[in-house]
Amino acid sequence: MIAQILAFTNPLRPLEHFLERILIWLHESVGFSWAWSIVALTVLVRIVLVPVTVKQIHSMQNLQAHAPEMKALQQKWKHDKQRQNEELMKFYRENKINPAASCLPIVLQIPIFISLFYVLRHFKATTLVEYGGSVDWLHLVDITEPVKDGWGPLLLVIYVASQLSSSYFMSTTMQGAQRILLMVLPVLFVPFIINFPVGLMVYWLTTNLWTTGQGLVTRRLMPKPEPPDKRSSRTPAKDEPPASGNGSPAASAKTAAAPTRKPVAGPPKRRKRNPGGGSTKR
Amino acid sequence: MKVIGIGLVQVWRHTFGLLTPAGTCKYHPSCSQYALDAFRAHGLFKGCIFACWRILRCNPWSHGGIDRAEDAHFGRRRPETERPA
Repeated sequence: MIAQILAFTNPLRPLEHFLERILIWLHESVGFSWAWSIVALTVLVRIVLVPVTVKQIHSMQNLQAHAPEMKALQQKWKHDKQRQNEELMKFYRENKINPAASCLPIVLQIPIFISLFYVLRHFKATTLVEYGGSVDWLHLVDITEPVKDGWGPLLLVIYVASQLSSSYFMSTTMQGAQRILLMVLPVLFVPFIINFPVGLMVYWLTTNLWTTGQGLVTRRLMPKPEPPDKRSSRTPAKDEPPASGNGSPAASAKTAAAPTRKPVAGPPKRRKRNPGGGSTKR
Repeated sequence: MKVIGIGLVQVWRHTFGLLTPAGTCKYHPSCSQYALDAFRAHGLFKGCIFACWRILRCNPWSHGGIDRAEDAHFGRRRPETERPA
């Protein structure tokens, strides 16, 4: 049934070919096995999304600075969700806050997921015949087989665990029943997931691990104090009509002098390496 | 015809949509609600375009805010001052 629903998504053909090309490149040129190529592909996708993530972290820091006022607003309209949302939006606008949340990064992941599903579905019949190679991952699972076969269920357990950990970081702003629901959902998805190819699970597992790692790093970065509002010094003074004759020359001299005061770039500062060698990367 | 669009949005809401925490969207109403309203108000074709455009606008660089599907139209955007608060 799911395959029938997915059959409607043929406009994704170009993306499908693109992903397949990357996989073949990773396999043929870089020399990964097919399974590790999927892992590498996932990492590539997430690296492309890093600017989005950085932007979100900045927004989140900005939001934290306004947390008390927002909490008061939520408390005030707690019986009227609609009004609460509207007031919150108004508050964002008044304070020039850019909310951290957005739908596009989440929605964008779905076409990638579906395309990969297609690529893996006819993988054995097409790509593998042409290029050969092993479809094993860690000598345990075959990436083209459904998850329910062989050691797949073990992978499924690891997947659910990774989904829980990444949901944990995604839901830090939620509380109570909603958060529990988000944690229970991956378990409810299991009956559908068992028919997916293992390779898709590898993709999802990697992306969850990335989200978790990102969450850990973000958590370390979060307590930073909110920097004061940045005011651009590049505001053109000439747009403003001179208020009086004697004030304007000084102002124009100031703006003219401003660019020359740019600090000269010195040699990059070296940072001491951590002697313990403890790294946050995995 | 618009039932197709509404049905697809409902499928999204009951599958992947469940995985996204409430408050994921920076707009009000949320993108999925906007899509439902857009299909109801503008039909399948125009509704689909407005909904896709809305999702594209719901990116980390936009500023969110109140944005109703009923007000959606092609062409020039009204200046800030004319929009309902």
